[in-house]
Amino acid sequence: MPSPNLRTFQNTIDAYKTKLAEQSAQIQDPKALDELRHQFLSRKRGYVTILLEELKTFAPEEKPTAGQLVNALKNEIQERLEALEARLKAPAKPKREIDLTLPGEKRYRGVPHPIRLFQREIEDIFLSMGFSVEDGPEIETDYYNFEALNFPPHHPARDDWDTLYITDKLLLRTHTSPVQIRVMEKQKPPIRIVLPGKVFRRDVPDPTHLPMFFQLEGLVVDEGITFAHLKGTLEFFLKRLFGDKIKIRFRPSFFPFTEPSAEVDIECLACGAKDPECRICGGTGWKEILGSGMVDPQVFKNVNIDPEKYSGWAFGLGIDRTAMFAYGISDMRYFFENDLRFIRQFDLK
Amino acid sequence: MKISLNWLKDYVDIGLPLRELLDRLTMIGLVAEEREERADDVILDVETYANRPDTLGHLGIAREIGAMLRSPLKDQTWPLSDLPVRTSELVDVQILDEDLCPRYCGVVVKGVKTGPSPDWLRTRIEAMGLKPINNIVDVSNYVLFATAQPIHAFDLSRIAGPRVLIRRAKKGETLRTLEGKDVALSPEMLVIADEKKPMAIAGVIGGEDSAVTAETQDVFIESATFDPASVRRTRKELEIQTDAAYRFERGADISFAPHAAIMAASLLTQFGGKVAREPVDVYPRPRKPKEIVLRSRRIAEILGVEVGDAFVERTLEDLGFALKANQQGLWRVQVPFFRVDIEREADLIEEIARFFGYDKIPVVVPPFEILEPVPSDKDRIRKLSQGLFHFGFDEVINQSFADPERESMLRSGKSPVEIRNPISSKASVLRTTLLGGLLENTAWNRNRGQEGVHIFEIGNVYSWNENAAAEEQSLGLSTAGPLGAPHWKGKPAETDFFHLKGALEAALENLRYAPIVFEEAACAFFEEDYSLAVSFKGQAIGRLGQVHGRLLDLYSVKGPVYAAELNLELLFSKQARPFEYVPLPRFPGVVRDLSFLVGRDVPYQGIKLAIDKLGLPHLEDFGVIDHYAGANIPKDKKSLSLRFTFRNPKATLVAEDVDKAEQKIVKSLKSAFKIQLREGGGSS
Repeated sequence: MPSPNLRTFQNTIDAYKTKLAEQSAQIQDPKALDELRHQFLSRKRGYVTILLEELKTFAPEEKPTAGQLVNALKNEIQERLEALEARLKAPAKPKREIDLTLPGEKRYRGVPHPIRLFQREIEDIFLSMGFSVEDGPEIETDYYNFEALNFPPHHPARDDWDTLYITDKLLLRTHTSPVQIRVMEKQKPPIRIVLPGKVFRRDVPDPTHLPMFFQLEGLVVDEGITFAHLKGTLEFFLKRLFGDKIKIRFRPSFFPFTEPSAEVDIECLACGAKDPECRICGGTGWKEILGSGMVDPQVFKNVNIDPEKYSGWAFGLGIDRTAMFAYGISDMRYFFENDLRFIRQFDLK
Repeated sequence: MKISLNWLKDYVDIGLPLRELLDRLTMIGLVAEEREERADDVILDVETYANRPDTLGHLGIAREIGAMLRSPLKDQTWPLSDLPVRTSELVDVQILDEDLCPRYCGVVVKGVKTGPSPDWLRTRIEAMGLKPINNIVDVSNYVLFATAQPIHAFDLSRIAGPRVLIRRAKKGETLRTLEGKDVALSPEMLVIADEKKPMAIAGVIGGEDSAVTAETQDVFIESATFDPASVRRTRKELEIQTDAAYRFERGADISFAPHAAIMAASLLTQFGGKVAREPVDVYPRPRKPKEIVLRSRRIAEILGVEVGDAFVERTLEDLGFALKANQQGLWRVQVPFFRVDIEREADLIEEIARFFGYDKIPVVVPPFEILEPVPSDKDRIRKLSQGLFHFGFDEVINQSFADPERESMLRSGKSPVEIRNPISSKASVLRTTLLGGLLENTAWNRNRGQEGVHIFEIGNVYSWNENAAAEEQSLGLSTAGPLGAPHWKGKPAETDFFHLKGALEAALENLRYAPIVFEEAACAFFEEDYSLAVSFKGQAIGRLGQVHGRLLDLYSVKGPVYAAELNLELLFSKQARPFEYVPLPRFPGVVRDLSFLVGRDVPYQGIKLAIDKLGLPHLEDFGVIDHYAGANIPKDKKSLSLRFTFRNPKATLVAEDVDKAEQKIVKSLKSAFKIQLREGGGSS
């Protein structure tokens, strides 16, 4: 352990070093340089001389260490002074030739697909509320895609989910809802999940329809879950996504797997509910953004959850369709043309 | 569904400005748009739901408005001018399949003067977007759009017997429909037949032979209820869509059948028709109204708000339900026959919520307790993507569909999953590889002036695997052209195989999947001598290489293009190395370079494995710092320089120890690969 004496000595030396650095930065002419030299190295009252005097106060075993410190300082002072001398004497530097206003290097970083970007934005809001993310197969059975979700065979409601079939019983899922069934089959409440994924419909491609698109559904099952909770959670979500001031409207609708069902509209961002001719909202001032509802008791029965004990709500939205609305993208097909000029723009988001 | 505002006023007084009416309808779940304005009428387009066939007529929409405005429906009377004879004396009606036809009503109207409809009727028919045909046909359509109950008019003189038999079709029977189409019938289909042959396909379409014509005088009007699933199967099988089938497959109001017949008969009296004294009504098993128990407490449990018992009673009664209160907070609710959608308590709660107003239900953020997150691939996928972004790869997402012809030319070696009812023959299978999409994207971007195209996709590929459809999450990568834009400091480098390989290695290493093993292996996607197989812990997980010229031609892409495909499902099924923090070294390392000649056909992978296998305790790291073949080197050799870093984390390494390790390496490489050290190539 160094003695207090040695520690104070070290601190003094450090202070001189700082002082030296600060003062050398200000030297502009030989006269100032001489003054600096005098201040640090004068035989009579220079800092080094004073320190050497102090050396005598150290115990013999500490003397070498202290001596080394003083020497190091002395060397540093001399180096600095020489460098300053050289700087003052040096001829003017030749003029720089490079034009510094030329553009800097460009390093290209890849970017996520806008659908993923938007999907993550939505997922993250729900993750912050303690939801988990789950997915399931894209090739589904009729049972999971329809029957378990309370679409009886031969029910006209199936027409609203125009389906691509592989065999009589196998199909391309028309929504991510079958994952709700798969999760409820293996996990008992409480359940709080979001389910993003690819879904398929037999839709002829046009600016707002494609046979493949992305959906994200959410499901909450617990004791005492009410429609008021559905409203609370979805309003929170939509305000996080579209801003606190967004106007939100819940209105009755029909889905076989929820009862009561609600369609959720938000005010039209394109026209601000001001253009009676608006192409996005058709002049209504509202844009349908997601479907939702209280989980139908029959769906609970199908997965052996007691609908008297538990209740829940679910919602679903089109990721691509919502992104189109959020960014004013006019044609859904842009997402899958994969034009890099389109994709890269979203890096700026 | 088209709805005429004037027609609605036959049933209910509205007294609201149109805009307000539409807004309020929206809030009870009926989204209506103004479709067109006619002389003194407005035609609305109302979105209806598959479970609400009652709203497929003006009467049903009027009921909703009546309940919404608390305004009672107007009574309508349908006076008849009676013949002294009963319908049953004129026609013999028998139901031979009660399951498929639970109720059949009919009435005969004689002496109708067939001709053009009067103006009031023409206006109504035109409002529905149809062309008026003659008064009898127009009356049928009028009843359908007014009440949602489809009816059919037969020419009585063309009914053999006259008998009307509701039976299943016999094998081999055919019918020429009103549309002039000949259809083959099967025993799964219900028909309306006379003594000799089918006259109509029940609930779907009438036949030409029994249809009313300009000469028709006496008609038999049918108003029935058919099994919804049967009507749906039949019309799908025959590919016929009619307004009648649309309603029957959703379910008709079984109590209303005789009223619709009388309504039609009454209208025909305006054209001279005389109505038989009593309609036929065959209803072998009359149904009782459904009864549902509704608990007041349950309403609050589901909606999260107390709506009040008085509100419940009032709303359901306004909607046509009959309520019996058994005790406090519990009702027995009788469902009107026109509400085929109401079967359970939950359905009633929705009715109450609709009229209470979704906007009046409070907004409550639930007190979510903490749940353990379910593990998923999400984080690994995010990390993998991050690694690829870093290497300048952009993410793409392609359609899962593929052109079967192209798919077979790609030769993925998998048998594609076929779609039975594809939208187009060019998208009739599911992709078996991600490569096709990536090449398509490369061509698309090249054609739009983008030379450097470096992209990846994470998504499923699909195949038939032992009689089951399999889907596997995969990673596809491709790189072509310059790595960056021209810049004054120098031309950007062209991509090459090692850019691709480096990206792949980095991305996998980033996920702590190491060591990844690369071995030469042929693959149909790639040039014969330009591809590697990738494996991890002995599991083959993918391949990479230079895309074969035949595929570049197929997708019209100028090469070279380098691509890779990995099966993420297989990769993620393996355990990655756990993350471990390694303290900074406290002792200096020793760096040694080793240059040697080795046969050109010796792959570096082999050398690397041989060195790894030695398990040298202080060898911290090594890598290739130079690789050369050409001048000054024998033709069958190449020169390799490796740099080794040795370090003992616990002490300063002694030169002798490093020498020993180096000698071991040299010895092993000499015996395995016959390497020759180059001059100055070794440090010992």
